[in-house]
Amino acid sequence: MTESISNLWSIALLVTIPIFATIIVNLLFNRNRAIKYISLISALSLVVITILSPYGFQWFTGQPALNPNTLTFTFDASIPAWRMALEFYFGPLQQVLIFVMALILVLVIGIATNGLTKNQGPYIGMIFLLFMSAAIIIMVNDLYHLWIAVEIGSLVVVGVVAASGEGIGQKAALKYALFSALSGAGLAIALALILGLTGYSNISDAIRYIQTTNLAGMSSILYVAFGFFILSWIYAGGLVPIHPLKSEVYGAAFPHGTAMLQAQSKLMLVAIGLVMLRLFGSLPFAREVMLSISVLTMMLGVVMALLQTDLRWILAYLIVSHSGLVTVGISLGTYDALVGGLFQAVNDVLYMSVLLLGCEAVYYFGKGTSTKTAVGIAKKAPWLALAMVLGTFAASGIPPFNGFQSKIILIQSALKVGLPEVAVVILILSVTTFIALFRGIYSIFLKPAETTPLAVSGSVPSEAQEDDKETPIPRGLYLSLAILVVITLILGVYPDLVIRFLTPVAQAVSIPWYP
Amino acid sequence: MIQVTIQLLAFFAAAVLVIIGIAGMLFLDNLIKKIIAFTLLSDGVNLLLVAVGYVEGGIVSILLPGMSTSEFASRAVLVFPVGIVLTNIVIGVSTTAILVALAIVLYRRYGTLKASKVLKGERR
Repeated sequence: MTESISNLWSIALLVTIPIFATIIVNLLFNRNRAIKYISLISALSLVVITILSPYGFQWFTGQPALNPNTLTFTFDASIPAWRMALEFYFGPLQQVLIFVMALILVLVIGIATNGLTKNQGPYIGMIFLLFMSAAIIIMVNDLYHLWIAVEIGSLVVVGVVAASGEGIGQKAALKYALFSALSGAGLAIALALILGLTGYSNISDAIRYIQTTNLAGMSSILYVAFGFFILSWIYAGGLVPIHPLKSEVYGAAFPHGTAMLQAQSKLMLVAIGLVMLRLFGSLPFAREVMLSISVLTMMLGVVMALLQTDLRWILAYLIVSHSGLVTVGISLGTYDALVGGLFQAVNDVLYMSVLLLGCEAVYYFGKGTSTKTAVGIAKKAPWLALAMVLGTFAASGIPPFNGFQSKIILIQSALKVGLPEVAVVILILSVTTFIALFRGIYSIFLKPAETTPLAVSGSVPSEAQEDDKETPIPRGLYLSLAILVVITLILGVYPDLVIRFLTPVAQAVSIPWYP
Repeated sequence: MIQVTIQLLAFFAAAVLVIIGIAGMLFLDNLIKKIIAFTLLSDGVNLLLVAVGYVEGGIVSILLPGMSTSEFASRAVLVFPVGIVLTNIVIGVSTTAILVALAIVLYRRYGTLKASKVLKGERR
């Protein structure tokens, strides 16, 4: 791909198309047919733009972050040039992550426009805004836009969760909104502190200033800023200690909405994580703190998943737990670990989407997603059962699926830096993921239908149980599952299709791990 | 000895507002009081940003007719933090609106504004 040094057309389109789509579908409100076509065309155009776009930047003031020798964008802070720009960058990492997000957007919109009958416009609009916030956050190279994108993304998450219309969704939305207010303010304070300390909002400029200036007594301000960044990172990815809150958000939203939420969350984790690694990676104990949070998230998330009896909630906790895998790679910060972490983010979005869309399909059998009520579905929907089993294999890191490739890179990188305990935790996570998922999938798909405890227990039937009607699964849902399963298989066999997009950033950002 | 300046006082006031805001959001039980605490937190952040851009004896960062660029550069307050404050005000209003909307919906459902009861799902 060639790289342009003039403002890039695609960056503006990746931000404005979702905004215009949101405005139009909101105006159309309940005209479902028109909403369906407009939103599908908009989402497909985002996929095409991402594929066709060259690499380059969009900046608002000053100069872009250019390597003076090659006149190409660089993350390398040792390049002695002051940028002073509010800038967006579209490069290989951005291309692959935004492509995956746009693909999920198309599939989710296809499902949502078929499944929802009321208030479709505002809901689809929020799905578009989720995409927009994630696209901005992964493209920015300045703290100002980073903060704005995190704030917008948080508010949209609240809207998507509240849109489920259930009490549990509204309560989860309220809790998430309160924490988003706190962490958003924290990120603004971090921005103010770094701006006050260095005079720059541009991340490359701030790093250059920090590395070349003797901060002496002012380094404590950097630690405070790091603390607020950690708060924001924890909040964005649902890391420990707010993992129950984020899991509640994932469990309360519609499963297809959760597919978008988890994709956005992974992009936020990667974007904020990379910024933290670049800004604070050389601070003593900074990466140790990040690594500890990541390992705890992996362990606690998967333990909580084992305790659940509803497929929706099993997936909710597993999404949080697997976020820890992404952040382990970023926290270690070495070249291999970064490649593994970033690849894991891509794989995670794909295989979790398989499982979430499969979970959505289970709803069509009219008995909810509880392992106690929804049983014996494999007889009625063998292809759905197969997709869920393959999704489980991918999530558990079983070859030849994509999860295996990223996990093996992470394990190798943990061993390489002399942290075998982290490698063991990743292995345990893989095994426990398999147990947690297969337990749920066995009950829902393979357990004979006559053993349903609904009549035996005499418990009060839930809303889903009362609505004991089977409706045929839309073909679009099957098609979405098939596309995602094929991609997870292809990436498992040919990981280099994605890895070659991740290596330039990993090379530029990586820092050796010190004992 | 630390010289007490307007900037230092502003930093101190901002810290007080932020701490009161965070404490209110975490420890107050009434949803409306939590939202008010958030507005205090947001105001504290705004004050911090304004203080970061403060220049002793500074002028508004508008290049007036007859003013030399060197004089402007030496005296004008930093304009970027002011821009961030404007953005933060907009974000603060949006967040407050969403929080109030959720509080109304949950009040209709549970008949109370007590966070402890709403989050447990108990009616008044």
